Amino acid sequence: MSEAAAVPVPVVARATWWQRLGPLLGLALLCLVLAIASPHFLTVDNLLNVLRQSAINAVLALGQLVVIITAGIDLSIGSIMGLTIVLLALMMRGGTPSFLACALTVVAGVAVGLLNGLLLTRLKLPHPFISTLGTMNVARGAALLLASGVPISGLPARFRETVAGSAFGIPSPVLVAGVLYAVGHLFLTRTVWGRDLYALGGNREAARLCGIPVDRRLNLAYALSGGAAGLAAVVMAARMNSGFPLAGSGAELDAIAAVIVGGASFFGGVGTAGGTLIGALIIGFLRNGLNLLDVSAYWQMIVIGAVIVAAVCIDVLRQRVGRE
Amino acid sequence: MATPATAPLLEVRGISKRFGGHVALHDVNLALAAGQIHAVAGENGAGKSTLMAVLSGALRPDAGVLLWDGRPVALGDVRAAQDLGISMVHQEPQLVGSLSVAENVGLGRLPSRRGPLRVVDRALLRKQARRALALVRSEMAPERRVETLGVAPRQLVAIARALHFGARLIILDEPTSSLSPAETDSLFLTLRALRDRGTAIVYISHRLEELRALADRVTVLRDGAVVMTAPLAETGNDGLILAMSGRELVAVDAARDERPAGEVVLEVRGLGRRGRLHDVSLEVRAGEIVGLAGLVGAGRSRMLRTVFGADRPDRGEVRVRAADGSWRRLGRLRDAIAAGVGLVPEDRRALGLVPTASVADNIGLVTPPGTRRFGILRRARLREFARRAVEALRIKTRGLDAPVRTLSGGNQQKCVLGRWVGPEARVLLLDEPTRGVDVGAKAEIHRHLRGLAHRGLAILVASSELPELLALCDRIVVMRQGRLVGELSREQASAPEVLRLATGTR
Repeated sequence: MSEAAAVPVPVVARATWWQRLGPLLGLALLCLVLAIASPHFLTVDNLLNVLRQSAINAVLALGQLVVIITAGIDLSIGSIMGLTIVLLALMMRGGTPSFLACALTVVAGVAVGLLNGLLLTRLKLPHPFISTLGTMNVARGAALLLASGVPISGLPARFRETVAGSAFGIPSPVLVAGVLYAVGHLFLTRTVWGRDLYALGGNREAARLCGIPVDRRLNLAYALSGGAAGLAAVVMAARMNSGFPLAGSGAELDAIAAVIVGGASFFGGVGTAGGTLIGALIIGFLRNGLNLLDVSAYWQMIVIGAVIVAAVCIDVLRQRVGRE
Repeated sequence: MATPATAPLLEVRGISKRFGGHVALHDVNLALAAGQIHAVAGENGAGKSTLMAVLSGALRPDAGVLLWDGRPVALGDVRAAQDLGISMVHQEPQLVGSLSVAENVGLGRLPSRRGPLRVVDRALLRKQARRALALVRSEMAPERRVETLGVAPRQLVAIARALHFGARLIILDEPTSSLSPAETDSLFLTLRALRDRGTAIVYISHRLEELRALADRVTVLRDGAVVMTAPLAETGNDGLILAMSGRELVAVDAARDERPAGEVVLEVRGLGRRGRLHDVSLEVRAGEIVGLAGLVGAGRSRMLRTVFGADRPDRGEVRVRAADGSWRRLGRLRDAIAAGVGLVPEDRRALGLVPTASVADNIGLVTPPGTRRFGILRRARLREFARRAVEALRIKTRGLDAPVRTLSGGNQQKCVLGRWVGPEARVLLLDEPTRGVDVGAKAEIHRHLRGLAHRGLAILVASSELPELLALCDRIVVMRQGRLVGELSREQASAPEVLRLATGTR
């Protein structure tokens, strides 16, 4: 088509290029600064340590990404982690085989996530902020009730060694997160479901008029987010050797931060698994670097808050540049 | 450029504006006189919006001067322009729905009583609002909440607000795009009354008939430059269209050709929904383009959405004949899509496009047959489907992966249309397919619709623009208050006849 070539739209092309590489450049810059500032940063031990510490947040963030792509939000994932970690510990204490217990933990996460979805799509609650805020409190309360408010410790050693140990020299939690991200990427980019989530996040009515079963897809998104929280609970239980009902308190906020720093849009329809992974790593490296530099935990909170705001500011700026 | 009889209120001299490498405005000159309605016309992307943004203080030009009452002024921002006496009324009036009419009129300059607390003086506010509303010939209650108002009264509130701010120049951006003919007439009366009081009005519209009915002078923009400024009385429609598009259009009627009408493909029987649709029955044949006329609120959109399955009917049925001759009964929206029925909805931005997605994804959004296997997208086939649509409809885009929002309005609309014109297509339902689309793209869309009818599609198209229906359709059915009230063959159809049926007058 000769006509097509004549239409100039150069500015936008640059903006999408930025959008893709922005978070990656941020991560590279952060690593460079930390490598110069601290001699301990660029060691294999330290880097593996950061990956291990980031794995749980990365798993949660992937679930959160799926929901944010639909223009929603899931505040309940931290509490779902707390509830499912207690269930896991109770099952193991009751003698359920480890593998089965782990699988059932993820299923329980999916079930609570599905509940979030149904509250939204069946009861027509006005915004997922409300349904998941409710679930957040209910799940935490249920976790505390089930555990009578105290941690359940003494999980099978085999389970701990497998899930919290290493394979091929790589920490198992990192492997779990890595496989999950590969699957998540393929799900979002190659399947009808994934494409539908982007579509309904970008414009729900247009998606509906194209025959996309919007409610079913929304249910799926929240179920997946809950499932990710269940999986994160399994990893956490193995690392901590305990099912403690306060597990994952505030974890939803770090996950949301990773998704947003990773370039996804709160307005829906935009975001990638790769970007979210980078977002989770940025937050992990930032924590680690601040620790290495002996910055107090109080200051860390302030720095991470500033980074979140700055990341979104940059995003807003580059979109404005893209439009003009 | 001819000078207006009176000295201009606002004179624009040599305004230019670039965005990156793109020249949005180039050396634009314009003289706006008090007591005159000045139309600004041009295709999408011609620079109308940029020019209006400069005039209303929302954008600073790179070069050129603005003279207000003969004195050079710099418009720092919208507020500065308002203080000077220039206000803009947007297509969707920017009002606060949860506040009252009076509060919206006074918003930003609410009168307050004396004292440190600056308590709002409600009595004075109501009085001011009533005064401003009287100027726009409206008697709506100042206490009424704006969210309970329709589009037309909202526009009046926005204009009243501008007048309350002391506007001597009001810019209106396509104010009639969602008004009924009666509301449009009423708005025009108001605008003429304001003009006669000495207000200068800039009126942007695509609709030539409207410009003709309303404006004193017209300026046509193309590719960011003024190509013509003239009194409307001295300009013919052909001249305007030529100035806007820069090319001669094939006369519409000459292109209307004979198509052999095939068998009935779409059959609607007794379709109804309580309070909205009553006993609608209709047949559309293969190769036929049927127009759906009626006033705003007559139920045209409702009917198309119900036929498609996007809204559920209480009674009646819709059937579509498949390629093998068997009939399929439709119910849910997915049945309709599976049977080869497509809907191009009324509001492309709100209902048609996914702005965050690419051209290919927008066209492939319906996941046409053969593009999925066990839930996995077959991306090569999907792209092939999109590529064919881009070629068949001549969609101007940088590529299949370009974000759809970078396309012009007409090309965006063609993307929505492109979803439904694959090999399985049988029936096409279109709701205002050329609203907000420039003159050139409009003619092109019409040509594509005729081509699709030739291919054997059954096409049902609703439009508020009678000339469009008269030029395009083989037959026009007219709706009023949720009912089909008449049908006119191509020979019988004329604007007065359609309006007579649509309004229920004899």
